[in-house]
Parts: sequence; C-alpha cells; structure tokens
Amino acid sequence: MMIVKNKTKPDLSIDFAGIKLKNPVLTASGTFGYGEEFGEFVDLNKLGGVIVKGISLNPIKGNPPPRIWETPSGMLNAIGLENPGVDVFLNEKLPYLRKFDTAVIVNMFGYSLEEYVAVAERLNGARGISGIEVNISCPNVKAGGMAFGTDLKATFELLSAIRKTTKLPVIAKLSPNVTDVTAFAKAARDAGCDGLSLINTLLGMAIDVRCRKPRLANCTGGLSGPAIRPVAVRMVWQTAKAVSLPIIGMGGIVTGEDALEFILAGASAVAVGTANFVNPRATLDVVKGIERVMIEQGVGVLSELVGKVSVP
Amino acid sequence: MNRLHQAAILSHKPMGRGYYRIVLKAPEMASSALPGQFVMVRVSDTLDPLLARPFGISSVLSKTSLEILYRVVGRGTALLAGRDRGQTLGLLGPLGKGFPLPDKKTTPVLVAGGSGFPPLHFLAQRVGSGAHLFLGSRDKESLPPTAIVKSFRDACAKVHIATEDGSAGTKGMTTDILNAFLTKMEKKSPLVLYACGPHAMLAAVGRIAAEHSIPCYVSMEERMACGLGACMGCSIPMKSGGYKRACKEGPVFDSRDIDWSERVSVKIQGSEFKVRR
Ligand SMILES: Cc1cc2nc3c(=O)[nH]c(=O)nc-3n(C[C@H](O)[C@H](O)[C@H](O)COP(=O)(O)OP(=O)(O)OC[C@H]3O[C@@H](n4cnc5c(N)ncnc54)[C@H](O)[C@@H]3O)c2cc1C
Ligand SMILES: Cc1cc2nc3c(=O)[nH]c(=O)nc-3n(C[C@H](O)[C@H](O)[C@H](O)COP(=O)(O)O)c2cc1C
Ligand code: FES
Repeated sequence: MMIVKNKTKPDLSIDFAGIKLKNPVLTASGTFGYGEEFGEFVDLNKLGGVIVKGISLNPIKGNPPPRIWETPSGMLNAIGLENPGVDVFLNEKLPYLRKFDTAVIVNMFGYSLEEYVAVAERLNGARGISGIEVNISCPNVKAGGMAFGTDLKATFELLSAIRKTTKLPVIAKLSPNVTDVTAFAKAARDAGCDGLSLINTLLGMAIDVRCRKPRLANCTGGLSGPAIRPVAVRMVWQTAKAVSLPIIGMGGIVTGEDALEFILAGASAVAVGTANFVNPRATLDVVKGIERVMIEQGVGVLSELVGKVSVP
Repeated sequence: MNRLHQAAILSHKPMGRGYYRIVLKAPEMASSALPGQFVMVRVSDTLDPLLARPFGISSVLSKTSLEILYRVVGRGTALLAGRDRGQTLGLLGPLGKGFPLPDKKTTPVLVAGGSGFPPLHFLAQRVGSGAHLFLGSRDKESLPPTAIVKSFRDACAKVHIATEDGSAGTKGMTTDILNAFLTKMEKKSPLVLYACGPHAMLAAVGRIAAEHSIPCYVSMEERMACGLGACMGCSIPMKSGGYKRACKEGPVFDSRDIDWSERVSVKIQGSEFKVRR
C-alpha cells in the first residue's frame, strides 16, 4: 500500500465505467426508494450516487404480505419487485433526482428479453441518468430474473441485446445464487458490459415451527444485511481476479470499514442497502468512515486501495 | 423537522397485564405527533436484532415528552423491556398518517381489540369528552392495564367492555355490543368509527360500519423494515387492486378501501415470549 503522509481531506472520487463519482458510496437498489424517501435525512449531493428501486416496463403489484422477516443480523425479503413502471419513474421520480449533483443509476428488469430491451430504450433518451444497472438476479419472481441470472447463455444474450440498445454505461448486477459467479462475470464482459454489481440477495427461507408455515407468504426470499457480508466480499474478490471490469460491491455494508473490505477485495465503488433501514443516514456514515480510515492510514487517494488486499 | 432522534428514557415501568409504559424525551416529536402516527424504535444498538420495532404513540404528555405502551411478545420487545431510565433509544418518527379527526357535531366511537388500544388512547385524549370507547378481549386479564382503562374513562363519555368469557363487562364479542350501540346512537348524532386490533376484528368492525353507513378508520399492522416507504415491505392489500404501504399511506386507512378477503395466511409476529412482570 502506498502511504502518503497527508492529513488534508483525502480524495474519494472514482471514475466508474466512465461515470464520475465524487465518492464511492452508492445506495443499493430497493433500499433507498427513488431518493426522495431519504431526502430529509441525507443530502444526496454528498453521495457518490443513487441506484434506484428496480424499474420494469409496466407497473408491478408485488407479492402478498408478509413480505419481510428479520433473521440474525439480516433480513429476508420477497417484495416481488413492486414498482410503478418506467413511465411513472421518468415522469414523477426522476425529476426529483435531477435536482442533485449526484450520479443516478437506474436499476431495471423485465420478464422477457424484449421487456428488458424496451425499458433500456425508454431510459435511453432521458436526461439525468448516468447509467443502468441490469438486475438479472432478483430471486423473488418466479418468471423473472432467476432464469436469466443463473443461465450463462441467457445472461450473455440478454446483456448483449441491452448493450446494443443503449449508449449509457451498462452495469450487470449478478446473482450470488450460482456455483461460479466468475463465469457470469465473464459472460457480462463478453456481452460488452461496462461494469458489474454484486451481490444481490442470497435465496433463503425461514419457517414458523408452531404454525409449520413459511414466515414469508412467498415461501422463499432474498437474504440481505450484515449476515451476508463475508459471502459478498469473497465473491467480489473472486470476480475482481477473474475479470477487469470495475465492480460495485455490496452486501451488508454498515460502516466505512465494511466498505473498505469490498474496496480492498477489488470493488471500485460500494452500495449501502439494508443498513438504510437500520439508520437512514447510514450512507453518510459510510462516507465519513472511509475518510477517517484513509486519514488514519495516510492514504491520499482512494483508487489506490482498490484490490489491494495482500494475500499470502 | 428532524425525525431521527436519540431520546432519553424518562421513565420505564411495568403496568400490569404484561404491558410496559415507556416515557421518552423527544421534543420535536411531542410537538408534531398526531393520534394514529407511530415511531420506529431501535431496541438495541447492535446489529442483532437488526430492524427497529414499530409502536403507536399512546400519549403526548408534555411539550417535550411522549408515551409508548407495549406488550412483550418476542425478542425485540423483551430487549426493550430491559432498557433503563436514563439510557437513550434510537427513534424514528412521527411516521405515517394519523386518524382524520372528527368535526364538532360527530360522535367518535373508538374500538380497541387485544393490544390495539395505544393509538386510540392518544386519539381519546385529543377528540374530547364525547367519545365512546369499546374494549374487547378474550378475558379480563387480556384487557388493557387498569390504569389505562381508568385513563380512557377520564377521557371518554363512556367505556364499554366485552370479554368472550364474561369475566369483565358484557359476555360476548365487542362487535355485538358495538352493533347495538350504533343502532341506538345513529338516530341521535352523526358517528365515526376508529378501530385498532386484530385483523379479524377490524374486518368485522368495517363490515358493521358499512351496514350502518358510518365512516370507519382502521389502524393496520404489518411487518416493517424502514418505516419510510422505501422497502415496500409493509403492504396492505387494497380493494382497488394492488397494495398500499402501512408506514406511508397508513397505518390508518378507510376500512372501505381495504381488501379484507386477502386474508393473511402467515402470522405477522414471531415467537411468543414468556412475559416478565
Ligand atoms: C403501526 C404499528 C403500531 C404498533 N403499535 C404497537 C403498540 O402501540 N404497542 C405494542 O405493544 N405493539 C405495537 N405494535 C406491534 C409491535 O410492533 C410488535 O409487537 C413488535 O414489533 C414485536 O417485536 P418482537 O421482536 O418483540 O416480536 P417478534 O415477533 O419476535 O418479532 C419478529 C419480527 O416481526 C415483527 N412483528 C412482530 N409482531 C408484529 C406486529 N404485530 N406488527 C408488526 N410487526 C410485527 C417485528 O417487528 C420483527 O421484525 C405495532 C405495530 C405496528 C405495525
Ligand atoms: C427490500 C429490498 C429490496 C430490494 N430490491 C432490489 C431491486 O429492486 N433490484 C435489485 O437489483 N436489487 C434489490 N435488492 C438487493 C439490494 O440492492 C442488494 O443487492 C442486497 O440487499 C445486498 O446488499 P445489503 O446487504 O447491503 O442490503 C433489494 C434488497 C432489499 C433488502
Ligand atoms: S416499512 Fe418500508 S415501506 Fe413501509
């Protein structure tokens, strides 16, 4: 590690796949609404960027309740990708985000290749979007994401089609529910993607032993929060070694130290998810925490830490 | 207005019948909270349990303090019961939309089932002395703590009690005595119903309200993660199709808007804990 003796404000800025971020801290899709929900707690100008809740071509009603269940240092969710659809997003949600000097990355999904492409087309012309994050991995909707994100050929075809549709940077959000995540990272690279996001939630289940019923009406759900962090750090590390695409690392980040684990493992940026529910100002705490460790360690420029875990 | 607080615990005591009363110093919240609104409470500063717990505001005691009444039902509430006076609690609120308040000519009729009385306690204190309260439970021991029943008596015109086993008040269901009361009262004055309690009771009260053509507002419970409308976890099914968020559009809804048929097949709460008194 390069040690710069410098007590002044460290440089946290990062160029992520051509997107200029003033710091590496983003919000994980589905945990920060469309930004406005957190506007009273977080000055969005202070974030690297906002990744919005997943958007589809048509509005999605979502799964029946109960949709969430708390687990040790984590939670299961089966929201079912509820969202108002791309048109409402563009007309009613995006204008709020445009007011801020922060990167806006739009998480999107579809139930067929054609739907994905149609959403990408709609987002293409819109002002104020820095990039798109393609959710190929949401484990909740039976007909949706899972089929793409766990099938190499489908992943490649889908991401290639989206790549051809848009001029925006394309970030593929990978599913952790596969045997070898690096194979999917390579498929995304070969399809022409500009970056990778990982990890999405891990498929899980909890059972009420007295009722002998699942805790979620959907039976299974996605596990998130601090409980999954070691799995996420490991997957980011493996992926960073396998492909040279920049990575947004996420999974259980609560503090600056947590974020730096991902950065040392090879992520260029990070996203804070479930922690926003625990503390609405978590993202700002993570920015400050990264800064603090950099000053303490005498690191002047954050990009120097990317991938710098020293392995024996 | 800031809605994220570290609130000092001013007082914290068992109330009997398994309930605790906690008084918190939260000036901004005390001055703005409305009956029916709720707060998310961090029961522990660690990451396990991870999520805050939602509680209705049961009273605003002064310009700077408010009260929560809760029952120990699981791990989170058991941890909360262990927090002492002088410590602080992480708090988010006031959250959600409260009960629409009645006009002067209308008689408010409050219906509380099981442990659904705390938000109605705050409402009773705000709507004035003309209100009628209906309390229903399995048996006498499942009623609200005696001090709370007394507080309701002080705030309301009358408290009507029904228990299923007849150990207090009228033997039977609250909905039966409520129905008779509405039939008698609706000729005298315009009425409005406010209800909080188990899902089945709320559905029944909503049905009775519809039969009498009386407006009815119900406070709904669902598991919550963020309390801010971001996670989409707290969905309540609507008659018009789709869902609304208990934390944002609710927790108070017009009972006519709710799809009561989409019965929750999975229990909201987790493990039952032995109540420590
Ligand atoms: C708007 C609202 C207002 C409430 N007001 C009060 C009140 O004034 N007094 C009071 O005693 N209780 C109230 N509750 C219920 C209270 O939130 C639960 O009793 C509490 O969350 C239980 O936590 P636990 O860890 O002890 O139980 P566990 O059952 O172990 O909790 C497991 C998980 O389920 C959730 N959960 C369990 N029961 C409920 C429930 N009934 N509603 C929503 N989530 C639940 C918990 O928050 C937690 O995430 C209210 C709930 C809501 C939604
Ligand atoms: C309630 C909830 C909703 C989510 N919705 C989405 C979504 O719409 N699209 C998506 O790609 N990921 C979604 N995710 C996954 C998160 O973006 C993130 O990848 C995952 O939660 C791991 O990060 P965390 O542990 O910090 O939450 C959601 C997660 C949660 C908890
Ligand atoms: S609790 Fe998150 S949307 Fe209601």
